Amino acid sequence: MPGTIRSVSLVWVVLLVCLSSRRTSVGAAPICTNGQVGCHVLSLDNLFDRVIQHSARMHGISSDLHSEFEQYFLPSKNQIGRLGRICHTSTIITPNGKENAQRMAREQLTEVILKLLIAWRDPLWHFHQSMAHHHDFNNFSSNKALEMNDMVHELRQGVEKVAEKMQVLGIISNSVTSLASPEVLLPSDSADWRLMKDYDLLYCFRRDSNKVQNYLKILKCRIVPDHGC
Amino acid sequence: MRRDLRGALLLLLTAAVQSSSMSAPGKPVLLSCRSPEKETFTCWWEPGSDGGLPTTHHLYYERERLEGTYECPDYLSAGRNSCFFDKNHTSIWVDYYLTVMASNALGNATSDPFKMDVMEIVKPDAPENVTLQVEEREASPCLNVRWMPPSNTDTKSGWVTIKYELRVNKDNSNNWKEYTSGTQTHFSLYSVSPGGVYTVQVRCLLDHGSWSEWSNTTFVKISNYLQNERPLSMLISILSAILFIMAGLILIAKRKSVKQWVLPPVPGPKIRGITSQLLQSGGSDDVGNALIIKQSFPPIYFVWEDQMEDYLIVTENEDWLSSISQKRKKSLIPACFHFDSEIHSKKLCGFSETCGKRNVKHVDYSRVKEVKGDNVLFLEKEKVQSSGYMDFQRQEGIPEDYSRVKEVESDNLVVLQKQNAADMSCKDEGNHYTDCALHKPRKPVCTELSDSGYVDTIPAPPLM
Repeated sequence: MPGTIRSVSLVWVVLLVCLSSRRTSVGAAPICTNGQVGCHVLSLDNLFDRVIQHSARMHGISSDLHSEFEQYFLPSKNQIGRLGRICHTSTIITPNGKENAQRMAREQLTEVILKLLIAWRDPLWHFHQSMAHHHDFNNFSSNKALEMNDMVHELRQGVEKVAEKMQVLGIISNSVTSLASPEVLLPSDSADWRLMKDYDLLYCFRRDSNKVQNYLKILKCRIVPDHGC
Repeated sequence: MRRDLRGALLLLLTAAVQSSSMSAPGKPVLLSCRSPEKETFTCWWEPGSDGGLPTTHHLYYERERLEGTYECPDYLSAGRNSCFFDKNHTSIWVDYYLTVMASNALGNATSDPFKMDVMEIVKPDAPENVTLQVEEREASPCLNVRWMPPSNTDTKSGWVTIKYELRVNKDNSNNWKEYTSGTQTHFSLYSVSPGGVYTVQVRCLLDHGSWSEWSNTTFVKISNYLQNERPLSMLISILSAILFIMAGLILIAKRKSVKQWVLPPVPGPKIRGITSQLLQSGGSDDVGNALIIKQSFPPIYFVWEDQMEDYLIVTENEDWLSSISQKRKKSLIPACFHFDSEIHSKKLCGFSETCGKRNVKHVDYSRVKEVKGDNVLFLEKEKVQSSGYMDFQRQEGIPEDYSRVKEVESDNLVVLQKQNAADMSCKDEGNHYTDCALHKPRKPVCTELSDSGYVDTIPAPPLM
């Protein structure tokens, strides 16, 4: 008797597990459009919130690393390398103010975000490698560099999902090219970053991560304004 | 005449120059810049010495991704020695390089360049319109704080994310308690007590920038509304105290019955006929008598007259004989009997009225056939009463005979012939032999008796 009870309960557990996994898999594969009932996908504002949180954390880490570097190397604040420091992403045209960002089209803004994230994929990887080899830095900084590298990767995937959802919902047109072939978006003279020193790299990335965060927030409050703007 | 005039003028000039010590201006210093909403910013500088002459200051800037050098667009809006950059002239995420030049009639002085990015200099204005409202509830009052974001900040477009913090102190002490409010513009304080004056201040933060200054203080006094209800509560408390005292007095007065009710006494065992007086006063005999008479035990009488002191050994085991013969030298009288029957008999003897008397009342020596030694009696036919001492089987209906006696060794040893263990029954004599347990095959315990009468036990070889 106890043997049959055990087998029956096992069967139930297996059934439940299968059902629940099927539910989640159904939710992940096709994106539901507005009219469908019974879909378990995340809403757009939820997706936006996640991506924005992610970008905020990424910017926080880059700020921490940048200030750590400043302590180490103490570059004089008035080093007038006016033409000295040029970030490798300066070829990407980014809106430099609130009105400019608001005036830019949604597709364009989304593309700018993706371009920025793709452009930082390789430099951050090499930065992390160089940090791991330098014994000046402690493990804490090295871990932060690795985390930063991973976050860029994840954030890019998140933004792509958001763009995909927006396209499906008809909010933006299908002209966002990055989803098809990301390498198209790489700046043409992308080898410049290898010439940059670590400190300049961090300075540029701190700035660019702030840009990404702000653009995402502007996008969100334009598209789904009711949820906490 | 002209020479004199020229000479006088020269003298005057030199005198004038020497007296006022005019010079080119000192170097100004750029102090800081600040952006209250991430859309405009202001920079301030500290002028150096003016060299005694009216000095003007000009701020020039260069910008990343912008060719050329430009001058400050607005010197007035932000007050003296400041430069205000409006929305059209403000770009974020680009570096600005600022310099201030002081110039007077005698020369110029340029400050060190100051590099800044609008992203790094964000510090908002303090929140506005902080209002306090006391919500009076029965148990405890609560304080609702409300405020507005600073008027120049646009919090709706997502360009900035604002966070608030407030602090409270009671009765103007220096002990501030801080709370974080997140992004909401209201907050409720529950840890307020009546009769205190509470002061509240709020400040805010944009994105990753610096905290603003604390807002103007707002305070409120929470009325001591409990005072109105005090007479009633006092009356209630007095009444309840009186009731409590009365209940206590009643309890004390009736403490015995209360104690009985709370802790009932445990009943002791009751044996009919035995009372505490009897136990205290009477001897053991009286107690025993009381127990015997009152209880319904079957009366047991055992008279062990003759064989009490002398022990007769009856055995079938010839091997044992040899071991015993070796011990003969000692003045010990080994005896083998059922240990518990011995006890039994001793016990029973204690209860029997006649047992105590060891006097042999009805000794019948008519049956004695032969006497060997000190304690061997050969009886004719009769039963031997002290079956407790002897380990043998009695068969019903068979006249007692000592045909089984095989041998008699020494003074107190009788060897019997082995018999089947087939028929065994308890003989119920008229004297109420008790339990057949006596006849049950049991491993007897041999005891060694010393002359003093103490019994030690040695394990016996099986006799059956």
